[in-house]
Amino acid sequence: MTSATGPAAMSSASTRAPSRRASLGQRIWTQRADYLYVLPALVVMLIVIAYPVYYTIELSFFKTPTSLQLKDKIFVGLENYTTILTSGSFWQVTWQTLIWTFFSTLFAFLLGLGAALALHGEFVGRGVLRALLLIPWVVSAVAASYVWKWLYHSDFGAIGALLVQLGLTDQPINFIDNRSTALASLIVVNVWKEFSFAMIMLMAGLQTVPEQLLRAARVDGASPWQRFWHVTFPHLAGVSTVTVLLLTVQNFNSFIIPWIMTGGGPAGASDIWITQIYQLAFGRQRWGVAAAYSVLLFLIMMVLGYFYVRALTRGDDARAGA
Amino acid sequence: MSTDTQTPQRSFDGWKWGGRVFLTLLLIFTVMPMAWMLITSLKTGFAAMQYPPQWWPSEPTLSNYTRLLDPSNSVGQDFLRYFWNSLWVSTATTILAVIVAVPAAYAFSRFRFPGRTFLFFAVLLRNMFPAVIFLVPLFILMRLLGLVNTHGSLILTYLTFGLPLAIWLLKGFYDNIPIQLEQAARIDGATRFQAFLYIVMPLSTPGIIATSIYSFIGAWNEYIYAYTFLTRHDQMTLPVGIQRFFSENATDWPGLMAATFMMSVPVVVHFLVLQLYIVRALAEGSVKH
Repeated sequence: MTSATGPAAMSSASTRAPSRRASLGQRIWTQRADYLYVLPALVVMLIVIAYPVYYTIELSFFKTPTSLQLKDKIFVGLENYTTILTSGSFWQVTWQTLIWTFFSTLFAFLLGLGAALALHGEFVGRGVLRALLLIPWVVSAVAASYVWKWLYHSDFGAIGALLVQLGLTDQPINFIDNRSTALASLIVVNVWKEFSFAMIMLMAGLQTVPEQLLRAARVDGASPWQRFWHVTFPHLAGVSTVTVLLLTVQNFNSFIIPWIMTGGGPAGASDIWITQIYQLAFGRQRWGVAAAYSVLLFLIMMVLGYFYVRALTRGDDARAGA
Repeated sequence: MSTDTQTPQRSFDGWKWGGRVFLTLLLIFTVMPMAWMLITSLKTGFAAMQYPPQWWPSEPTLSNYTRLLDPSNSVGQDFLRYFWNSLWVSTATTILAVIVAVPAAYAFSRFRFPGRTFLFFAVLLRNMFPAVIFLVPLFILMRLLGLVNTHGSLILTYLTFGLPLAIWLLKGFYDNIPIQLEQAARIDGATRFQAFLYIVMPLSTPGIIATSIYSFIGAWNEYIYAYTFLTRHDQMTLPVGIQRFFSENATDWPGLMAATFMMSVPVVVHFLVLQLYIVRALAEGSVKH
């Protein structure tokens, strides 16, 4: 998106660029060929996204037999929703989901920000360092979960043994089979897996900070902290918002790490919404309740999605001068 | 710190050194699990089950790897089949994703048709929805289409879920190709489609490569759908296959670590080779959108 391809330049690509005053119908008709390019993508998305969303909403108002024989489903109104909201575990799981999402996002963002700032500028080995820091992000979450499960192993785990050898604990800690440490241990794994995502986004954001401003601030005697807080950080605000939103969504929806490492256990201590929904659907075949849960999740995501689009479009408007 | 590269150092050394110390600690945190995975994979089952652990195997062995790669025993047979299944599913997904995403991204970049912004954000919003929401209905849909326990179900699903990002990445590349090149071709009598095919496509090769790698990694690592749609184990992909392998050999940690290592090799190699492209593409998409 260089200046050469501003909106004006781009619309001239379309040879039949319609005048602004043409009616919507006319514009759609004159540019009908344009839609052909987007059509395959839209068709696939409609089948695999729009249809399931509609279907989930429908299922959430029905009681469906465990065999998933759809012709035998019974309309129950809002019963599935009340079942969820009145169940004993709902608030515990919700609380755990919030803790999981909040701390994963916070630490991933802070580590990513620190790494992006420390990697900014030229020094020997920077490329290698960046590549190494990015590896957790591309490695499969399943592989990562097993590696960490092994590191946390209650008898032969490296972390437990290391803490004992350093004299920090008397005997190896049981990290993930323990109600009080399970969730925190999983958050560490999650942060390990995704801090580099925040790092990349913020490294890109740092490139937009004008060098002259920083130099001017230095000439005026601003301390490094002042320069960061008053010059660098305001330029990172946009990309930080997007990063935090994407991390929040991703963490709210995590499944693999808790599912493989603890399965939500012990005794539900690391259960979050997604693992709960999965168990309701494919563990206990309570399709209606699982669907209702999904609809609630969907609503939360819509709210976050609204902020996401707004954060993205604000950048657009600013560039277009609107 | 972000700022001190070209200044003669004054009192900022503290910041610089703070940054170095932070990076070192972060590097240890990042690399330690992967190093331990490698070290464990070189141990025998007996050596892995010791307390305190052998920080370096006393008798390093490659037997875990040879066993997984040897088609003449049942473990190796399974592993190679999972590997092959993953490779096939990921490759098919990638090719289809590029075929579908290229025209869409080009249209979003170049044309100003009504509803463009709405459609573009609708595509992006897909990122907001968790896989689990789609799981039950897609499971039903796949049953209706007769695709349960086939790779087709996975390819169709991965294709859709990879598309938004693929379109987004590619659009960033098309935005950077000067429009004048196409205009020149049009003046010389090329149709719009010819201009696209002969001028824009070759120039966007790096973008297409980056997008392909990204789709490939996404499909290679996917777990939930593979776990739900496939129950026959000759169809399983690696993430699910490894889980099955583990539940049947619960104490064979060195074997499991060797398997996770080999599962990580293709994506890490792909990624390291092309990380510059991907990082730049993501950055352009996210910062400038």
